Formats: sequence, structure tokens, C-alpha cells
Amino acid sequence: MTVKRTLALVAAWAAAITALHLTLNVDWSSLLNDRLPAARRKFHVAYIPVT
Amino acid sequence: MTDYISRYSRDGHVFLPRKFQGFPEIKEALIANRMQAGFMVAPMAMALRSQGVPIKIVYLGHRYGSAVVVQKSGPVRSVHDLAGKTIAIPSRFSDEHLILVRALRKNGMKRSDVHMVEMAPPDVAGALAVGAIDGFSMGEPYPSQAEIGGYGRILFLARDYWPDYMSCVLVVRQDAIDRRPQAVQVLVDGIARSGLWLDRGRAHRDAAADFVGRYYFSQPPALLRWVLSRDLQRVVYSPLAPRKADFDLVRDLMMETGVLDRRIDFSEYVDTRFADGAAAATAWRYEPGSARAE
Repeated sequence: MTVKRTLALVAAWAAAITALHLTLNVDWSSLLNDRLPAARRKFHVAYIPVT
Repeated sequence: MTDYISRYSRDGHVFLPRKFQGFPEIKEALIANRMQAGFMVAPMAMALRSQGVPIKIVYLGHRYGSAVVVQKSGPVRSVHDLAGKTIAIPSRFSDEHLILVRALRKNGMKRSDVHMVEMAPPDVAGALAVGAIDGFSMGEPYPSQAEIGGYGRILFLARDYWPDYMSCVLVVRQDAIDRRPQAVQVLVDGIARSGLWLDRGRAHRDAAADFVGRYYFSQPPALLRWVLSRDLQRVVYSPLAPRKADFDLVRDLMMETGVLDRRIDFSEYVDTRFADGAAAATAWRYEPGSARAE
């Protein structure tokens, strides 16, 4: 395997892992909400899984 | 539930729900203003307000829905048999603690007759299954989880010792109330409408068990159907307006058990204007599976 091909595979793997991380672990709704003006921001409401 | 349905409504979606595993974490998040509102057990909310934390109770989450559960094949058959046993409660500052104290007293026993330990709600069913505790006093679905699992038996339901029992309440930070009362009203209206929708019958309860279990609680819908639909009176969702008499009873029990050090007044920790505003609310017009709610 050439160095070029190895680097391409590593880059593709890193990109895939990064994309998965950004999808699964980043709370986008919260991040975007926090960037809104205060008057338009949604409340964060805490709950625990009991009725 | 309110979040799920209100996403299909035109203007009812004003909040982002965040799941926690215990009440102490919710308390910290509210104090730090990471959460502007949250559901927590009523005594904890009252104690926090008493300590100067700027929050107010604006509505209830439900009524009933708590039970004391013991090992199915164990020796405890009555409240008297709890003497000397280890019973888990979610917190000293919880209605589940107070209901246990109330049951002990009504049977001529003292709080110190039982060894109470604090435990996060999701942990109690497992602890009972392996015999680490003799029982627990907890909100649903954990009593039902122990029943379905075959290792727990209901000793008594909250309603057996406490008519109109309440547990989780909705608290909102005072700055959110002051700055955005309309948004708080929309939130309370949504909860009121959800409660009325849930209390319309078994079909709505089954639907709620499905979407709440899958998208919010990460619990099997069959477990929540057991909780919500087998006996429609096991948990009820109306009326949810905070009433002074209910809270006076909680406050007095808290003082008697030493978890509250002063006679805090109802108006100091409850803001009733949002419940008043929701008094004329009607059930959501929403059919399960539909993409529209009004």
C-alpha cells in the first residue's frame, strides 16, 4: 500500500468518525437555540423518566 | 408528552426537553441557569425556595403515580412488617419519603423504625431484584418495572394513604417568569392540555406510552402501557393546578421530619397565575399518528 493511499484511508476514517461524532454527540438544537436572541430562545426544561 | 404533541401545533413549541437521571442534578442545573424550568419533587422545590433559590412552582406534573414496593417473595406483608427493613427513597426532599412517613405514622410507627436510603430512581428496581434493599418508595414506572419483572409487589399505592397526592411539580426560574411570562403560560397551557388529553381514555394512554417510551424515557412502551393503561387511576393528569391545602400538608410533613426549617408561605414558592390562565384549557385535538395538533 502506498503512503498516499494510506494517508487517504486515514483521512477518510477521521472524516467519518468526525461526522458521526458531530451527528451523535453534539446537541445541535441546544447550540442553535443558545445563539438566538434571548426573547426568541426556547426554555430548557429538565425532566427525569418518571411519570 | 407536551413536547411531542406541541411540535405538531402552530405556536405551542416553546421549550427543549432535557433528560436527567436524578433530582439533585436537576436542582444544580436550575441553580446554574442551564435549565430555565424543570420537573422535580415538590418538597425539593419548596426547600430550594426556602433556601433562597429564585424558582417558583407553577403547575403539577401529575397526581398519584407513586407506590411502596417490597420483594415479592419477602416477609413484608403489611406496613408493620417494614420495621427494621431497608427502604430506598429518591431523596429526603421527596413526596415518596413523606408518603412512607405518613403510612408509618398511620400504623403507629416512627420514621426511625425503617432504615431509609437515598437512591436514584433508575437504580431501585435492580437493587430490589438483587436483594440490596427490602423495598422502595418511588414514582412510576419503577414500581411497575418491579411488578412486571416478577420480583416486586406493591405494598401500597400513594392514594391509599394520601388523597390527591402529588409528586412532581413544574418549577420555573424567577427571571424566566419575569422576562417571558407568555412563554411560561404557553408551557403550562401545553401541560394542562396534555393532561386532559391523557385522561380521555385508554387509547390516548397507549399512544403516549408508545412515543414517550421510545423518544423520551428510553423505556419499553409495554412498561409504560402497564403504568398508564392497566388502571387509569394509577396516575392521573388532571386537575394539575397547585392548591394551597395540598402544599400546606407537604410543608407541615417536611417540618415534622426535619427537612424544612421554617414555615414557608404558599405565595412565597407558588405562582398561581399560570395555572389560573390554563384553567379554561381544553385537551389537545390530536390523533396519534397525525402530523397536526390544535
